Amino acid sequence: MNCAVCSNPMITLELDQVETDYCLTCRGIWLDKGELEQLLGDTLQAQQVLQSFQIAQDCKESPRRCPICGKKMEKVLAGPESKTTLLDRCKKGHGLWFDSGELESVLSLGRFDSEGKLPSYLKKMYTRK
Amino acid sequence: MWQQIHINKRNSILLLLSMGLVLAALGYIIAAAIGGSPEAGWLGILIASAIWLIMTLVSFTSGDQILLASSRAAPVTPEVHPQLFNIVEEMKIAAGLPKMPKIYIINDPAPNAFATGRNPQNASVAVTAGLLTRLNRDELQGVIAHEVSHIVHRDILFVTLAGVLLGSVVLISQVFLRGMVYSSMSARRYSSRGSSRGGGGQALLMLLAVLLAILAPLFTQLLYFALSRRREYLADAGAARLTRYPEGLASALEKIAQQDIPMESANQVTAPMYIANPLRGKKYLNLYSTHPPIEQRIRILRNMSQGASLADYEQFYRSVTHKAGMIPQSALSKETVSIRPPSTEKTDPSSLNQIRAMGDLMRKVNGFKFLTCPCGVILKIPPNFPTGKAQCPHCGHVLSVS
Repeated sequence: MNCAVCSNPMITLELDQVETDYCLTCRGIWLDKGELEQLLGDTLQAQQVLQSFQIAQDCKESPRRCPICGKKMEKVLAGPESKTTLLDRCKKGHGLWFDSGELESVLSLGRFDSEGKLPSYLKKMYTRK
Repeated sequence: MWQQIHINKRNSILLLLSMGLVLAALGYIIAAAIGGSPEAGWLGILIASAIWLIMTLVSFTSGDQILLASSRAAPVTPEVHPQLFNIVEEMKIAAGLPKMPKIYIINDPAPNAFATGRNPQNASVAVTAGLLTRLNRDELQGVIAHEVSHIVHRDILFVTLAGVLLGSVVLISQVFLRGMVYSSMSARRYSSRGSSRGGGGQALLMLLAVLLAILAPLFTQLLYFALSRRREYLADAGAARLTRYPEGLASALEKIAQQDIPMESANQVTAPMYIANPLRGKKYLNLYSTHPPIEQRIRILRNMSQGASLADYEQFYRSVTHKAGMIPQSALSKETVSIRPPSTEKTDPSSLNQIRAMGDLMRKVNGFKFLTCPCGVILKIPPNFPTGKAQCPHCGHVLSVS
């Protein structure tokens, strides 16, 4: 699987029995459908989190391609109403893409999913003590 | 059983012949239209036959390899999935296959399976990683028995050859239709109006050729799909008999039906090979379906509470589909096949750990390296990773990849 930004091969990281895909070159993170299920537990809940994002209208950022199907992903606004961050979501439901900078803004949101499992895991995995 | 195989063989030959006729007709009319005379048509038949002959020879010698490669199936050793090998061996013995089929795993989360090959001596069974993670032993056995039945019924060669023929018809039509578009464009640009050579006769032939080029692929596909549907029922009947446990396949089909993700590695030509239509969710396939309705197949299998013989299947096939029987009388021997109790082997296919284990398995098959960082993070490095070092994003430790 290649990075959606710089096309370098991505590596898979496993911690606490959860996997994420990571680009060592540009520090982008890919969470695929199965990985989101692992993080958020129930499939239904993972679906709800993915569905809750709103599609960003007239966004200037260039579209990224899904690392799985190669189709253009859509820009979505994630997070609660007041504070949102821009992510890329595969239209076919293959997963979510975080640019290196987007991770920090997701972490600052805190309430990403109802229990905050996703930000806390990403914080543990990707921020060095 | 033997008559059934015989009928299947005869149907295959009939189908291949009629597909060959379509191909020849296509070659004739296209060449006649381009050349402007019926004599040119014979050359067209010659070219079409040559294409067909080459493709048939290729598919006969290495069609299974082409299909497996285009489905991105990787051959596996027993250590990768011992249970799968165990079940295939069990079904091989039950069906009396002369040789153990080769086993492949397709790295795809959509649960599906297919069998291919030339004959029972040279057969292969491929299952997706998604199938292995979602099914328990009885269900997996049902699916494998279905595929082994395809091998026993000699469906595998038919599917390979029909796929290649269909491919040829599509190829010739496409080349002609595209050629038409380009030649008409250049004609408009470089020749004055009204200077066409052939006159009314050629125009008519041209029209016919265009019509045939559009219709032939559809017609061939319909033929192919109509016959492949019947084969699915027959393989289900065979699977119930081999496993003596129709519920296994029924619940496997149910699980497969629940998944509506289309397979990435399947296409229109390979679709009829699979146990369930891999392209569900893609709209254009509603026009002609490659597989019988999965609910009907499940209902027939679930009705079989008294026995698992072909006659039992036939009985409920009639009552569920309201169609005349499909298994020939002679195959419906008086044998009684009693239903066996479910397997006691406990598996928890829904557990996330098992799904992750499957992912790791596919990575090992595909040549990934596994590095464990002192901080506890496992780094899974793809074979095409360019540099020799990888830094753990969790603790910053630098690990050597080579």
